[in-house]
Amino acid sequence: MYKRTPLSAHQLKPLALFFAALTVSGSALAWQPERPVEFVVTSGAGGGTDTFARTVQSIIGKHKLMDESIIVSNKGGGSGAEGYVYSASSKDDPYKLTFGTNNEYLLPEVGEMPYAAEDLQPVAAMAMDEFLIWVNGDADYASAKDFIDAAKQNPGKMQFAGSQSKDTDQTLVSMIEEATGADFRYVPFNGGSQALVQLAGGHVDANVNNPNENLGQWQAGMVKPLCVFSPEQLPKGEPVYEDKGWGDIPTCISQGIDISEYRMPRTVWLPADAPQEAVTYYQELLRKVSETPEWKDYTTRTVQTSQFLTGDELEQYIDDNAETVRKVFEQEGWNAS
Amino acid sequence: MNNLSLLMDGFATILTWNHLLIMVIGVMLGMLVGVLPGLGAPNGVSLLLPLTFTMDPVSAIILLSCMYWGALFGGSTTSILFNIPGEPSSVATTFDGYPMARNGEATRALTLAFMSAGLGALAGVVMITLLASSVAQFGLRFSSPEYFAVYFLAFCSFIGMSSSAPSKTLVSMMLGLAFATVGMDSVSGGLRLTFGIPDLVKGISFLVAVMGLFGIAELMVTTEEGLSFNGIKSRIRVRDILRTMAELPRYWASLIRSILIGIWMGITPAGPTAASFMSHGIAKRFSRHPERFGKGEPNGIVSPEAADHSAGTSALLPMLALGVPGSATAAVMMGGLMIWGLTPGPMLFITRPDFVWGLVASMYLGNVVAVILVLSTVPLYASILRVPFAIIGPVIVAVIFTGVYQVANSTFDFWLLLFFALLGYLFKKLDYPVAPLVLTMVLGHRAEEAFRQSMVMSDGSLTVFWSNSLVTTIMGLGVLMLVWPLFSRMLGLRGWRRRLHRQQPQASKPATPDSRP
Amino acid sequence: MTHNGISRYSMEIATALLTGGIGLAICYGAWQVGTGWTPSGPDSGYFPFWIGVLIVAGSVVNLLRTIVGHRHKDEIFLDAARLKSLARFVLPILGFAVVSLLLGLYVGTTLYVLFAMRLQGHYAWWRSLASGVAISVCFYLLFELVFQVPLLKGPLEHAFGIY
Repeated sequence: MYKRTPLSAHQLKPLALFFAALTVSGSALAWQPERPVEFVVTSGAGGGTDTFARTVQSIIGKHKLMDESIIVSNKGGGSGAEGYVYSASSKDDPYKLTFGTNNEYLLPEVGEMPYAAEDLQPVAAMAMDEFLIWVNGDADYASAKDFIDAAKQNPGKMQFAGSQSKDTDQTLVSMIEEATGADFRYVPFNGGSQALVQLAGGHVDANVNNPNENLGQWQAGMVKPLCVFSPEQLPKGEPVYEDKGWGDIPTCISQGIDISEYRMPRTVWLPADAPQEAVTYYQELLRKVSETPEWKDYTTRTVQTSQFLTGDELEQYIDDNAETVRKVFEQEGWNAS
Repeated sequence: MNNLSLLMDGFATILTWNHLLIMVIGVMLGMLVGVLPGLGAPNGVSLLLPLTFTMDPVSAIILLSCMYWGALFGGSTTSILFNIPGEPSSVATTFDGYPMARNGEATRALTLAFMSAGLGALAGVVMITLLASSVAQFGLRFSSPEYFAVYFLAFCSFIGMSSSAPSKTLVSMMLGLAFATVGMDSVSGGLRLTFGIPDLVKGISFLVAVMGLFGIAELMVTTEEGLSFNGIKSRIRVRDILRTMAELPRYWASLIRSILIGIWMGITPAGPTAASFMSHGIAKRFSRHPERFGKGEPNGIVSPEAADHSAGTSALLPMLALGVPGSATAAVMMGGLMIWGLTPGPMLFITRPDFVWGLVASMYLGNVVAVILVLSTVPLYASILRVPFAIIGPVIVAVIFTGVYQVANSTFDFWLLLFFALLGYLFKKLDYPVAPLVLTMVLGHRAEEAFRQSMVMSDGSLTVFWSNSLVTTIMGLGVLMLVWPLFSRMLGLRGWRRRLHRQQPQASKPATPDSRP
Repeated sequence: MTHNGISRYSMEIATALLTGGIGLAICYGAWQVGTGWTPSGPDSGYFPFWIGVLIVAGSVVNLLRTIVGHRHKDEIFLDAARLKSLARFVLPILGFAVVSLLLGLYVGTTLYVLFAMRLQGHYAWWRSLASGVAISVCFYLLFELVFQVPLLKGPLEHAFGIY
């Protein structure tokens, strides 16, 4: 039942080399993986990044986009630092494709990390995950405006649950405070699913989970979204709960919270000194993945925006994103140095 | 009972030869994964995920859940035979399982473990069938203070009177807490106690510690004794298995108590590891012969095993009913659901009843299949002990090293393993108890996290730990557990007599692991 | 070491010093990240610091109990014969760790099983070697092919094109 047949791959190799020698063309010189590629996942099994990496793996397998096999290894220790340290320490190894989010460049900002953001080079960003304000399904707030007003009445009393400390969630909560003048209390739980349970159980007042993290519970009416941090409303789709769907959620900026966009990129990295040809190879591979119907299905189902960025565009995006977040870090005094 | 008719539909869905074959394969792969110390259930299940991408969701979940059952059973096997817990949750099984196997009753120990585990799992599934939604709602009432209270209770029921010097127990307990705090501190978002070593960022793996403290250290003591497992020359007969099964009803009190503990800890979700420790501790505390624990007491095997499996099964309930993972393995399965195109959550019962009830039905069948399969392997495993030590010893060491490497692909862990082996060896020879170290290492970090989250939520006020009836009750139970030995001693002289017995010829068997807390 | 082995007295002292040293290291590490009690609960190093303090305190008590109480003075921790059989077991393990770091786990396993069987069981060379190779091959089939988890590999496997 195991499909991997390394023997036949080895038997084919001399043959392939022979043909390569016959046709000394440009494409034969291009970089190709010659042994199994390791997908380093910077979250535990079952996390958002894990689903991202495994979806890519399943698409590559299904469409046979790569000849070599893929080994997925979860290294989610230290909020993902474990995975980044692991690939950063393998200086030029093009066989360690690392899957993460913007925490690659945010983690070294807030804590002394045994790796620097520059130790890895970005290969591609494949999707943008949205953020929303969620409250308990039974809460009285009809809109985000109500919620913020209520928070202003009780400064420092309303609690936001989030995944970790000084992460994307807490950054966003600080930005909301800055934009509205309200004062919240942020409680770091371990991961988005914990933050969800605490909200569904009514132990906290709100969270800023990604759509996919709360979808199942919204369907059941246990939690409800108030607004989404994107410049325009999400695409219309099937109704999720009581004839309301993703497309019906107002943007936060229309509710008087002056944050037009806050998203988390789903990113792929290689060690900084990996050869440029390998980077190009993986960019092509991931581009092909992002063009399959299965990828579209994944982004629709998880309510992410499919957005394929590479090269200068990606560098620019990372610079801007890091700049925005850095400002919040400085304001809150979270910087490591 | 609407649920029952739905369950019958579930059985109708899964009762095909194809699905039964998948069950057998899943259980067997799971047993293999459970026996190999580094892999473990969550890893094993995620390794199988790619295979399920092309399957239909019902077959896929049957494969994964059956692998989970298999892994839970496999983990107990190595605990009993070699004192190497294949899974964190089977650590407590080593306390009495390994001594019993060393006394020449490996078959009995394995059979007891498998049967009580199977019963525990079945009880968990019955609970899921009958009470799914109401019990899941109860789980929602737990927030950080309640979690802390549950961990506190688990501590208190396990830590108690010990034959070791109190200062040695203290050092052991605190070392466990200290090792657990290394790495990322999720409440402040910073690293601590890493001393600039990159390999410590991920923390000190519990599995690495246990493999050193129990596995290698045990082998070192055995080597000293003269290169053999004592008293393993017993014959293996099928009759022994049947006789042990007939013996099982005698432990009904332990079984029921452990199943209740397991179900409760699985839902809340403090998890199977805490459940098995707690169950072993309570069994000892309320036993008429606590001095027999740690030397091969049958109740000391039945209790942790039944609790471990009922908790492991119940941990799937939050996943089904609420869409939140109750354990690491459940988290992997939920990831699988998303890849297969399902949305985990309460609505799954309504949108895909065939899937949910197929899964529940497969839990019944899968566990029965698993018990039959593991029981049939008992003679095989027990015969491993007859292989000369000079062969089996090195093989165990090699398996441990590969296991340690698989935990995080880190060679630094080899040195950690050797450090823990040295520590375990010294502790064993110098009468330091090892169990408190292991317990605090599992629960300490989570207890600290829950405590500090509670502090953030309450503005630093300790009153949060008796702020509502639920948390007050659990904390009260914990305190009760803590003072119980004192209490029972005041009530009568029974405790004194017991202690006198304990002073008697204890040194007759120096190689017996001192696993009493 | 006395003429008939290591005394338990000295091992008790050594272990107390070891655990005390770990305790001190933990206090120091905790002190680096802050050990206070902030308005929103304990600091990152608060618990580790006091845990470290308790370890040191417990170790000091253990040390004093041994020295002042003259405990275990005449007990033998390890006599010469046992030390020898222990060394036969532990030294190959150390070698295993070092060789695995340099040459990978497969070569390490083969050599380790070979020497361990030779030293402990006095098996014939060929039998020991055959067992070592067999176990490595089993590991390869099981881990690399069945479960697809890579083990540490060294220059030898790379020369054969196995990564």
